[in-house]
Amino acid sequence: MPSTTDLEQFLITGLSLGGVYALSGVGMVVLYRATGVLNLSFGAVGAMGALIAWQLINHSGFGFWPAALVSVLFGGAITLAYGMVFGPALAHRDPLVKATATLGLTLILLGVMDLLWPSSGGASRSLTIPTDNNTFQVGQISVTYTNVIALALGLVITVATAAFLRFTKLGTAMRAIANDRDISAALGVPVRRVTAAAWFGCGVLAGIAGVLLADLVALDATSLTFLVIFTLAATLIARLRSIVITFVAALVIGVVDAELTPVQSLSNYRDMTPFVLAAIALLVLNRRRVITVGRQGV
Amino acid sequence: MRGMHHHALRVRLGVALAVVIGAVLLAACGSSNSSTSAPPGSSGGSASSSTSTASGSSGSSSSSGGSTDTSSCGPKAGQAATGTPINIGTIDTKQPGTDFSDGPNMINAYFACVNANGGVNGHPLKLFVQYDQTQPAQIAAAAKQLIQTDHVVGIVGVFDLLECTIDQSYWDQLGIYEMGAGIAPECWSTPHSAAVNMGPRYSSDGAVQYGLSQHVSKIVFVQSNVPGTGYIAAGPKALADAMHVPITELTANVPINDANSLALNLVNNAGSNGWVVLNFTPPEALVILQAAQKLGLEDRVKGWGCSTPCNTDFLAKALGPKWNHKLFVNAELTDADDHNGPEMQLYKAILAKYGSAVAGGIGSFSQMGFLLAKFSVGALDTIKGPYTIQSVNTAFKNIKNQQTEMLCQPWVYGPYPLHIPNNSDFTTTPDNGKMVTAQGCTPISNADPQIAAYRKAAGEAPSTNPPTG
Repeated sequence: MPSTTDLEQFLITGLSLGGVYALSGVGMVVLYRATGVLNLSFGAVGAMGALIAWQLINHSGFGFWPAALVSVLFGGAITLAYGMVFGPALAHRDPLVKATATLGLTLILLGVMDLLWPSSGGASRSLTIPTDNNTFQVGQISVTYTNVIALALGLVITVATAAFLRFTKLGTAMRAIANDRDISAALGVPVRRVTAAAWFGCGVLAGIAGVLLADLVALDATSLTFLVIFTLAATLIARLRSIVITFVAALVIGVVDAELTPVQSLSNYRDMTPFVLAAIALLVLNRRRVITVGRQGV
Repeated sequence: MRGMHHHALRVRLGVALAVVIGAVLLAACGSSNSSTSAPPGSSGGSASSSTSTASGSSGSSSSSGGSTDTSSCGPKAGQAATGTPINIGTIDTKQPGTDFSDGPNMINAYFACVNANGGVNGHPLKLFVQYDQTQPAQIAAAAKQLIQTDHVVGIVGVFDLLECTIDQSYWDQLGIYEMGAGIAPECWSTPHSAAVNMGPRYSSDGAVQYGLSQHVSKIVFVQSNVPGTGYIAAGPKALADAMHVPITELTANVPINDANSLALNLVNNAGSNGWVVLNFTPPEALVILQAAQKLGLEDRVKGWGCSTPCNTDFLAKALGPKWNHKLFVNAELTDADDHNGPEMQLYKAILAKYGSAVAGGIGSFSQMGFLLAKFSVGALDTIKGPYTIQSVNTAFKNIKNQQTEMLCQPWVYGPYPLHIPNNSDFTTTPDNGKMVTAQGCTPISNADPQIAAYRKAAGEAPSTNPPTG
């Protein structure tokens, strides 16, 4: 069994990843609440944004921050474009159809990335955020400011989004659309504009998450695209409703995944962490619901 | 009004989408001579088949050496071969994340050079390439198509994850002796396959052997969690056991989602006088090493090792100077930067003149393609009479004592029950963005029972230490 010191070290690595999963989850939940779309292309959009940033830095002489800005804007633009072109047509379809449609965008982006940034000839790329150079020591390991930013950004985005949904006109409109799209439209809520804002916001968060995960995990199209699964589990635990629960669930997933690393018998199974936690959470939540309904019935 | 409004909105969105797509293309095409640009001649898709024109598709390449005369690749300088073509086949992995197309593209380049300079006894060479996406049925079908439809008489290439496993019995039935650069154990452990590369097991042996020579107190060997890890890990374990050094063997799921935790676990396992050896593709190895660097772990063990995929300047450049002489990589081929004898110059010249489709340029994949093409052409030259499966494969099987600057030993095929002709290797280390030689040719230890069995069957070839300069 790993020592307490070991577990402390893995706690730090888990928290930073959990922070990025959290900000990704918040983006997905907000979009789902406003449009009813579970955006499975979140990871692919982030991956492509990160690869564009890498290209601009390494082959067009861009600095990191301007390249990161382009990456984030790309995320916003491509997600907005998808939402505006396909959103209206799919607005009244089943949520499963809407989610599956975003897989189409995922596959297209994966193909484009493989075409433009192939992995032949032993090519390996990396995107390093300048804050990696600034570190402080916690126990036996160095913590980079990128780790801190990842966690802090997850927290800030969660709080800011919660405040935005509660206190701003646009946020209120998003909540109204989430409750009933048609009635909201009849009451004069500009549905198209509000959903556009949600799509754009989700894309921006995908861009931010892509850059952070490219540094924290890997600048690899496939890896980044499928990291959405970790985020998805967090959003499912929150039943695609609460961004606060999404945040907490994402942190728990990140930490549990990291803490299992030194446990040799479980280490190779830790990729199951998001599924197992989501399944347990859903079972517990459903059990409560059954009990509540049962009592009401009595 | 509403319709016009929607129309205007759609036009605006269309323009926005076009701008986004344009920006992406602009970003991606910012550097046309990038070593990671798409191979112009490559074909994708499932089980795609392509044939080489092999007629001198000359193009430019960023690789140096273009001024060297390429005519020595064939018997008649400047005279195109006009006879009936000799059909050669290859099956190679090409899928997102694992693209080995540089290998067959380099064979094509060499064949193009030969065809432009007299061919093989007047015959041009035609390469039939089958790409697969690691689906066994697809690979088996590709083999049958090459033989039955394309009428190939030899298999040269096989830069593939599974091919040796899937097609061995078929080659055995037909009497085909394939020459390749594969990954699967059967590429080395069977009578009908011989490889120019060492493969993951023996290359990992080499990396572990270097670590053991540094008097470490523990080895931690980690590799990707894919089929065949037991076979690979058996080599390093045998070497460590022979030296009475404890070894911990780990696997990690790929793609790696949490490299920080993995790096931390490796270092904690190894201890301060331990040695961590990685057996991963370059992108995965890079992720682990960079994570170790960010967490300040690179000096918490005595040293780091890696099997041959890490031997790329891509990796050295991406890692930076902190890893100079800290990471030691097993190298199964001569470093093209350190060596510049006549053969290396010819390789670079062919790459420059005919290898526009080789996306990675100078590197181990194109070097292996060059060697396979060279050895096969040498064998084909010896055939007097018709080029049939029987005559061609007898010639391949009889290849022996092939001197080359790119390997530590002469290469041999031979009638052996197993083939590990590349069993002596270099060690390289990053040095300010380049991989440089840290240790010259060193035979892999006989402590690995497979190596011992091969040497017993084939004898021990002397290390030749290729010339530098």
